Amino acid sequence: MKTRRDFVRTSLALGATLSIADVGGLFAADAPTTAASPSPEPTGPKPVLVAVRDGDRVAMLDKALAELGGIQAFVKPGQTVVIKPNIGWNSAPERGANTHPTIVAHLTTLCLSAGAKSVSVFDNTCDQWQETYANSGIEKAAKDAGATVVNGKDESLYRETAIPNGIKLKSAKIHSLVLDSDVFINVPVLKHHHATQMTASMKNLMGIVWDRGTWHRTDLHQCIADLLTLRKPALNIIDAYHPMVRNGPRGKTVDDVVEMRWLLASPDIVAIDAAAAKLLNHQPSEITHIKIAHEMKLGRMDLENVDVRRHKLT
Amino acid sequence: MPRNPLKLTRVAVAVIFFTGLTIAFVDFRQFAPARLGHVLAHTQFVPGLVNLMTGAVGTLVFVVGVIVALAIGRIYCSAICPLGILQDIITRIRNAFPAKKKFLPFAKPHTALRQVFLWGTVAAIVAGWGGFALALLDPYSNFGRIVSTLARPVLTTANNSVVGLANAAGIQNLYRVTPPWAGVGALLLPAIFLTVVAVMSALRGRLYCNTVCPVGTALGLISRFAAFRIAIDKAACTKCGDCLRNCKAQCIDLRAGTIDASRCVACYNCVGVCEHHGIGYRFHWKKQPASAKSAPAAAATNLTTTNPQRRAFLASIAGGVAASSVVLNRARAAISPDKADTPALVRSGEASRAICPPGSKSVDQFLDRCTSCHLCISACPTHVLQPALFEYGLEGLLKPRLDYRSAYCLFECTRCGEVCPDNAIGVLDLAAKQITQIGVADFHQSRCIVEVNGTDCAACSEHCPTKAITTKPFRDNLRLPSLDQSLCVGCGACEYACPVKPTKAILVTGRSVHAQAVKLVEKKATAPAATNDFPF
Repeated sequence: MKTRRDFVRTSLALGATLSIADVGGLFAADAPTTAASPSPEPTGPKPVLVAVRDGDRVAMLDKALAELGGIQAFVKPGQTVVIKPNIGWNSAPERGANTHPTIVAHLTTLCLSAGAKSVSVFDNTCDQWQETYANSGIEKAAKDAGATVVNGKDESLYRETAIPNGIKLKSAKIHSLVLDSDVFINVPVLKHHHATQMTASMKNLMGIVWDRGTWHRTDLHQCIADLLTLRKPALNIIDAYHPMVRNGPRGKTVDDVVEMRWLLASPDIVAIDAAAAKLLNHQPSEITHIKIAHEMKLGRMDLENVDVRRHKLT
Repeated sequence: MPRNPLKLTRVAVAVIFFTGLTIAFVDFRQFAPARLGHVLAHTQFVPGLVNLMTGAVGTLVFVVGVIVALAIGRIYCSAICPLGILQDIITRIRNAFPAKKKFLPFAKPHTALRQVFLWGTVAAIVAGWGGFALALLDPYSNFGRIVSTLARPVLTTANNSVVGLANAAGIQNLYRVTPPWAGVGALLLPAIFLTVVAVMSALRGRLYCNTVCPVGTALGLISRFAAFRIAIDKAACTKCGDCLRNCKAQCIDLRAGTIDASRCVACYNCVGVCEHHGIGYRFHWKKQPASAKSAPAAAATNLTTTNPQRRAFLASIAGGVAASSVVLNRARAAISPDKADTPALVRSGEASRAICPPGSKSVDQFLDRCTSCHLCISACPTHVLQPALFEYGLEGLLKPRLDYRSAYCLFECTRCGEVCPDNAIGVLDLAAKQITQIGVADFHQSRCIVEVNGTDCAACSEHCPTKAITTKPFRDNLRLPSLDQSLCVGCGACEYACPVKPTKAILVTGRSVHAQAVKLVEKKATAPAATNDFPF
């Protein structure tokens, strides 16, 4: 019988084989992070990015998903789903340090209504995890919606995993839910970040890794991009309802957030972060990990080559 | 066997105190409310004494405790002291092997040893080493350390071993918790203490309480003058020996028909087993005719008898107290020569790692008051509170310190102050805690990843709750940490997060006297760009 794990393994091996030629060609020299490296030519169909604004969170999420073919385009009956919100900091929803619980709860409901066998939610929190899970409001909201909320601070749930296509990150301890679930959905919150200038979808995936401390020693931006060579989320949804625009990623008070009422969704993790960067008044290429990921062909940061669908509610 | 209401009450109260305190100390999932440990610990003798010395609220409990002892004897030792109850449990386990059931006959008291431990503790308090001596000998604090340091990690490990099965069976409320093992040094002392107490209680019942424990001896002194004392009714007594066989304190002298009230822990085992109503409480404050003071009674309470020998003994104790006070004071001065005139940062070597919790005001005050019961260590959600070895010096042995290699002090948490029974960690409201400066960070750019490797990091700034650490533009589109010490509260989040090895690039130095950090107030943030349309 072919198990889910076998499937992931085979796909990864296949992916590795297919991309070795490309990656080898591009990165044989030590050029991947230099400014001079050329933007890869667009190939295949344009990735779709949905940008919705001026609605409430549930309405914007429904609109974005409708544009992408509905949740059933991503979740098939009987599949296991893992949702990775940002639950980094021990602070209340209005502080904007974590993904808003409403979005996590609504997404859980949608996945279950599409026939998902189970929906799991976790994060490797920065602050003490029980307090953070509780005070973020996500634990209760997700449980009420029918999700299983899983401990992200249990090292035994993480497995050492090779990352053959990483430039600097060659292996990492990854949460087994991400390795084993059929569908992986990434639901970050958009924030300012003192280290990387901004945090959205790509940076949020540091929360599926146990030993991320070494990333800070190794080359943070490169490691963030390298992780994507292992498994990209099927869908990314950015909560930008009230982004934290300074003092990020932790924030000090509710005065650090600005109500902008945005929500972005895309299967292309680089494109969605590029759009998010623009919401915070950055050029995507200024954010080093976005630029590296684009150059590694992990997605597109040149939004002119992305099929952007814009919706203004109200 | 007829059950006596006195004994039943004693057992019921003991079960409540023992269970409640054990839950508070093993609570690795923070189920128990802070009030549970706080309230139960406040009923304990030594925390009460510390409250008395500092004029805190718990004084009242202490006074009530002394009055109760003066009324009916050492019920603290049998019904309230968790270490006493633990010894009863050990004795019970031992007696569960019938072949080995031990008969403890009447034994003479080790008066000299008792006096040495009691007056040595008094001398230490006089000399300013009270915090050290009480922490070492307080039975409640010793119990706390045994449960917090030894039982808590064991139970956590046991929990972890069943999580897999429970989750597979559909029970999702169990999860693994990193076992909170302390370092070897901090484990060793409670382990040795537990071994000694376990052996003593298995072989000789309440020998520890009646020889070593200064609280037992102090309460024994009071109990000798109690209004109601357990006594033998010679008219009813048949000298069957049942009381003797059930006495854990070896204080019933059946031949003389007397009971040593200074060692009786008021467990009422004897009262419960006596089928002839030959033993029970008698009121002793009646005026007695001189002839009634029979010789055997005087012999049994030999501590009360005034004689020249005893006077000389008391005098030598007084001399000893004075002399050891001087010695201890000198030792204290030698260990910390600069304590009197340096309110600022503790800078020298290991001492700089001695960071005491917010609410404790200063290292000196903290060491004077803390009895090292480890209730705060059990209650700390991040486990940043760890028992010290010599970071505070000898007098701070096993007292909690903030260890930023383990974790950092959670900005939104005030739990340690909420549980502390000694008023060593004062209660701070959250707003006050968030500006209490217990230490200050120092940034060493020469070791920083951004400088050394030329890659972004800023893990320190990411974690900083007050934004004392932000970042500023550095070469090649990098961001370099930038520190404003006036905003720093010393929570250690930056030091914990800093990935530099072996010496971190940002280190917090403790304040020997806590100060107040500046609170930066910013205006409401504005939108980064015009947002009327789509910027892409």
